[in-house]
Amino acid sequence: MAILQVKNLTKRFGGLVACDNVSIDLEEGEIVGLIGPNGAGKTTLFNCVAGFYPFDSGQVIFEGQDITLLPADRICHLGIARTFQVVKTFKDMTVLENLMVGGFVRSLSTRKVYREALEILDFTGLAEKKNMRGSALTMADKKRLEMARSLMTQPRLLMLDEAMAGLNQKETQEALEVIRRLHEKKITLLLVEHVMEVIMPISHRVVVLDYGKKIAEDVPEKIIDNEEVIKAYLGEKYHAARRKN
Amino acid sequence: MDSQKGNWGKILFLVVIAAFLLIFPALFTLPFPQHIMIMIFLYATLAQSWNIIGGYAGQISLGHAVYFGAGAYTSTLLLMKWGVSPWLGMLAGAGLAVGLSQIIGYPCFRLAGHYFAIATIAIGEITQIGMVNWKGGGGAVGLYLPILEESFANFEFHTTKVPYYYIALGITAITFFVTYLIERSWLGFYFRAIKGDLDAARSLGINIPKYKSIALAISAFFTAVCGTFYAQYVLFIDPESVLPLMLSILICLVAILGGVATVWGPFLGALVLVPLSEFTRTYLGGGGKAIDLMIYGALIVLIARFQAEGFMGWIKKLR
Amino acid sequence: MFTSEIILQTLLSGVLMGCVYALVAVGLCLIWGLMEIVNFAHGQFMMLAMFLAFWMYTLFGVDPLLSLPMGAVLLFLLGIATYFFIIKGILYTTFLAQIFATFGLGVFLHSMAQFLWTGNYRLVQNPLLAGRISAGGIFIGFPQLVAAIMSAIGFALLYWFINKTEIGLALQAASEDREAASLMGINSNRIFALGWGIGSACVGVAGVLLANFFYVFPEVGFTFALIAYVAVALGGFGSIPGSFIAGILIGLVEAFGGLLIDPAFKYLSVYVLYLAVVFIRPQGLWGRY
Repeated sequence: MAILQVKNLTKRFGGLVACDNVSIDLEEGEIVGLIGPNGAGKTTLFNCVAGFYPFDSGQVIFEGQDITLLPADRICHLGIARTFQVVKTFKDMTVLENLMVGGFVRSLSTRKVYREALEILDFTGLAEKKNMRGSALTMADKKRLEMARSLMTQPRLLMLDEAMAGLNQKETQEALEVIRRLHEKKITLLLVEHVMEVIMPISHRVVVLDYGKKIAEDVPEKIIDNEEVIKAYLGEKYHAARRKN
Repeated sequence: MDSQKGNWGKILFLVVIAAFLLIFPALFTLPFPQHIMIMIFLYATLAQSWNIIGGYAGQISLGHAVYFGAGAYTSTLLLMKWGVSPWLGMLAGAGLAVGLSQIIGYPCFRLAGHYFAIATIAIGEITQIGMVNWKGGGGAVGLYLPILEESFANFEFHTTKVPYYYIALGITAITFFVTYLIERSWLGFYFRAIKGDLDAARSLGINIPKYKSIALAISAFFTAVCGTFYAQYVLFIDPESVLPLMLSILICLVAILGGVATVWGPFLGALVLVPLSEFTRTYLGGGGKAIDLMIYGALIVLIARFQAEGFMGWIKKLR
Repeated sequence: MFTSEIILQTLLSGVLMGCVYALVAVGLCLIWGLMEIVNFAHGQFMMLAMFLAFWMYTLFGVDPLLSLPMGAVLLFLLGIATYFFIIKGILYTTFLAQIFATFGLGVFLHSMAQFLWTGNYRLVQNPLLAGRISAGGIFIGFPQLVAAIMSAIGFALLYWFINKTEIGLALQAASEDREAASLMGINSNRIFALGWGIGSACVGVAGVLLANFFYVFPEVGFTFALIAYVAVALGGFGSIPGSFIAGILIGLVEAFGGLLIDPAFKYLSVYVLYLAVVFIRPQGLWGRY
C-alpha cells in the first residue's frame, strides 16, 4: 500500500490556484523527486501535506490514515517530517540543542534524547560542531542541521524542500550521501529540487508540476525527454524549435 | 575532564552562596539590610517567573502585575472575610492566577509580537481600573490586613523581619530550582523553540498554544505567590501598589537587566536594581523618586542598545 | 435622559479629541510602518512638546499658536537624534531589545520632566485660541476645534507626502523591502531618520495644539502614548489612514464611555475596544500583518 496518497489536492490563495487537483502516490521506501519551474506550487504542496496550510479540496492519506484536517504538529507525531526552503535554525541554541528539540516528540527523557542527538550528529556529519551556535553555521551546515533535526523525530516520510540549493559540489555530494543513508534506513523521501544533477541520479520517480498542475510523472530518464516538461521549463518557442530540428 | 572540574567549581560556588544567604540574618542583624534582601528575593522571584514566559518562551507580557495582584487580593480577601489561613490563601491565589492566565492566554496567544504586548498592557490597565472601582475589594483605598498575633501560621511577624527573610529565601529557592529543572527538561527546549521559530517548532511536533499556556501558567503561579507574600509582609495592599503598569515594567526590567532565558539572570538583575533604587530614594531626597527612575530608564536603554543579554551576557564573555 | 443635544455634544467632542489622538497615532504608525519599531517614547515626545509650548508662553509670552512651527521643528530634530543615537543600533536585535530601547527612553524622559518641572498640573492661562462657539445649544471649544482641524490638515499633508512625493514613495519602498530599496539608491539610514523626524514632528504639532486647552504635566505622556498604541494596533500596524480613523474612533469611544458608563471608565472602554477588535481580527481593522 502506498505510504502517502495525495488525492486531488487543490489550494487557492484568493484568485490564484497554487495547487490544482494534484494527485501523487508514494510507495514506502521510494525516493521521489518533485520538480517544476518557480511558482509551480511545489512548496505549497509541501505545506498542505505537512499541515501548515489548510487546503480547499482533496485528501491526504498517510499510512492509511486521513490526515487532511490534522495540524502540523500532529502530523509530525504521526511520522512525517519536513524541512524548509529558507532554513529555520534555532539561532540562539547550539547545534546539539537544535537537534534535541526534535527528539522530544518521541521521548520526554532528556538523557535519552541527548544520546540520540549524538547519534544523529554522527550520522549527518555534524558531530564536531555540536556546541556551535545555530547562528554561527554556514548555509550548508544549516541545511544539514535542518535535515538532522527533522531526523530526530524518527519520520517514516521525510520531505526535503530544496535541501541542495546553494551548496557547492563537495557539499552537494555530502548531502547526497546522507540521503542515500536515509534511503538505506527505509525512510520514504520526497525531494523538491531545482538542481537536476541531484534529482535525476537518486530518484526512483520524478513528478513535475507547472502552474499548480501535475504535468508529468515518470522515471527520470523518460522525464528529460517529456515534451510537456520541456515546454514548461524552456517555453513554447524552444520546444517548437527543437521539434523543427 | 575540564567540565568535571567546572562542575565541582560551580557546585562549590553555589554552596558558598547558599551558606552566605542562610546566615545573612545573623551577620546583618539590623532590619534595614534584611529588608533589602527580602526585596531582592521578591524581585528576583518575580523576574524569574516572568522569565519563564517572557525570557524562555519569548512572549513579552507587559501586564504581569495582574497575577501579582491576583495573589495579593485573593489571600487578603479570604483572610479578611472568612479567616482563611494566608498559606491556603496563597495556594488559592496562585490557583486563581493560573486560571486567569489561561483565560488571558487563550485569545492573546494568537496575537503577534506587538499586538500581544499591547493586549497584556490593556488587560493590566483594565484590571487596575476594575479593582479601583470595586468597593467590595477595597477600591482605591485598599485593604489593611488584620494585625494578628505574630506566628508562622498567621504569616505575620511584627517584632522581627527574620522569618520573612527565610520565607522569601525559600520561595526564591523553590522558584529558581523549578526554573533550573524546566531549563534542562523538554519544557525548556520547547519554550526556547517557540521563541526561536514558530514554524520550525510546529514541524517538530510542538503544539504551540499548549506550551505557551503551560509557560504562562507556571509563570502566573509563582508571580501570585509573591503577591501573597507581599501582602503579608507589608500588611497593606491597594491597586496602586500591586497592579500598576510600572510594576509590570519593573519585573521585565529586572529580568532583562540580569539576562533573559538564564537561571541566574533574574537574581543578578534584582541584586543590582533593588539596592540602586533604595540608594537613590534614601540619599537623593524628594527628587530621589524621579532620579531613580531616570537611572532605570537610562539603564534600560543602555542594556537594550549594548548588551541585550544582560549581566549574564557579560559573565559569559568573561569565561 | 440623553437628549439629542447631549449625544451630539458628546459626538462632537469625541471627534475633535479623536482628531488629536489620530495625529499622534499617525506619527507612531509612520515609524512603525517604516521599520517595525514601536516608539514607546512617543507619548513622552508629545509631553515635551506640551511643556515647550507652556514654557514659551510662561517665560517669554509666546502664544502656543506661534510656538507651533518651533514645536514641529524641535521634535523633528529630536526624532532624528533618537534614531541616530539609539534606534540605529538596535534595528537588527531582538524584539525585546527594541521594545525596551524606546521604553527606557520614555521612562527617562518622563522622570526627567518630573525632576525638572515637578508633577504639578500646569495650564496655559490665556492663549490666543480661547473661548467657545455655540451652535444650536451645542458648545464647541474653539481651541479644540482648531486643534482638530489642524490635525486633520496635518494628516492630509502627511498622506499627500507619503503617496505623492518622491521622498514619500521612497519611505514606502524602504518600509516594504529595505534591501531592494537600497539597491535603488535609497539610503536606508537617511530614510529611517526622516521617518522618525516626521513621525515626531506630528506628535510635536499635536502637543503644542493640546497645550491650548489641556493640562500640562509629566504623566500626560503615558496616557496619550497608550492611546496612540491602541489606535495604531486597532487601525492595523502599517496603515496610516487606518491609524487616523482608529484615533477618531477612540475619541468617540472615550467620550461615549465617559457619558454612558462613568467618567472613571472612559479609558476602560478604549482598552476593551482594543481587545475586542484584536481578538476578532488579530491584525487590526486595516492591518497588513
